[in-house]
Amino acid sequence: MSAPADRPVTALVPGVLALLPSYRSIEDPVADLRAACRAAVGRLGPRVRVVASPATGGSGAAVAAALVAEVGAEVVETGETGVLVVGNGSAKRTEKAPGHLDERAEAFDAVLRADFSAAATDPALAADLWADTTCLADLPPLADADVLYDAAPFGVQYWVAVWPR
Amino acid sequence: MRLGRQQFGDDEPLMMAIVNRTPDSFFDKGATWAEEAAFARVAEVVAQGAEIVDIGGIKAAPGVEISPAEEKARVVDFVARVREQYPSLVISVDTWRAEVGAAVCAAGADVLNDAWGGADPELVDVAAEHDAAIICTHTGGVTPRTRPYRIDYDDVVAAAIHDTVAYAERALAAGVARESIVIDPAHDFGKNTFHSLEVTRRIGEMVATGWPVLVSLSNKDFVGETLGLEVGERLVGTLAATSVCALAGARIYRVHQVVETRQTVDMVWSIAGRRPPLRAIRGLQ
Repeated sequence: MSAPADRPVTALVPGVLALLPSYRSIEDPVADLRAACRAAVGRLGPRVRVVASPATGGSGAAVAAALVAEVGAEVVETGETGVLVVGNGSAKRTEKAPGHLDERAEAFDAVLRADFSAAATDPALAADLWADTTCLADLPPLADADVLYDAAPFGVQYWVAVWPR
Repeated sequence: MRLGRQQFGDDEPLMMAIVNRTPDSFFDKGATWAEEAAFARVAEVVAQGAEIVDIGGIKAAPGVEISPAEEKARVVDFVARVREQYPSLVISVDTWRAEVGAAVCAAGADVLNDAWGGADPELVDVAAEHDAAIICTHTGGVTPRTRPYRIDYDDVVAAAIHDTVAYAERALAAGVARESIVIDPAHDFGKNTFHSLEVTRRIGEMVATGWPVLVSLSNKDFVGETLGLEVGERLVGTLAATSVCALAGARIYRVHQVVETRQTVDMVWSIAGRRPPLRAIRGLQ
């Protein structure tokens, strides 16, 4: 699947609460991730429409709003210059992961990495694996994106990517 | 707050490490009496992150009289040596004598820590002349190096606030910079254990004066009497008192144990919401 020509520039970030100013530490535990997120959101232009799963209880949208504010842009409902999608892979990638190790998690994330549309096929498995994938299904594949971050530093799979117009 | 050559932010708690150039101080019992041992102590506390060293040449308790000449012999050259080795370290000298204050300021001291509450009225002039900071303590008007004996107050905290603020204003009038004046209730100085406990409990009232507050709690008798512990066994009690003062916002902690006190104050500072955690990721991934 490739992006339609009229699709605005789109970015993907994970809804990591440590990115919020209210959870700032003296030493930033997510410095690399934060830098990647800011770089990605910085490419969305001045008006950003946020697409975040309500299943996160609003925290995904809050993280997106904070990142948008940090790059000096604003969140809009319509008339956007870019779209910011919030989501991530499994939070059960390692024994120390928030959801502990689930042997299925790595393969699940590998499938998503190849094709985000797979996120729509098994929402029950996604829920089992503590993956925030509701908003990922319509994204083009990562192969078409500038991938700024792809790692699971705390046992949670994060991607930061930008799909240019 | 500015202590001589160093400026500090309003939300920054500071460790003032005690360095005794005495043969008879109560806690270390002369461990750093020899100059090399005292110098090694400075190196140790600097490595532990102390922002300030407080160098003293006379123990607080009664004892052999130390003349100004002898006090200067103990501290002035030592201050100069520390200054040369540590150009940016804040050097405080624990003295009540203007004559000694002038000599140590000329040798590079930043702070005059007058533990005896302005017993020498000219000390503020020395601080002003050298642009040094001054610690204004409350002793209830006792003579330097005397123990409290049947001293009582209608309200010890009100007395401590009255006297330290009056001292601070006298320092200001003498020309000491406003940002270089600190007040200290002086636990155990002119106070029995009940007084020191009350001052600890109500330290927030001193913080509310707006003058930065220094507390000197380390291993003192009020801790020992409260818990029934000898010198050398009072760290936990000291840190409990430290926590109470930190929660109220005391700014400077005059201590023997830098590492333990720093951990305590950092923890309380974070509980109070004045310091973020060092590195928090649990539950936030």
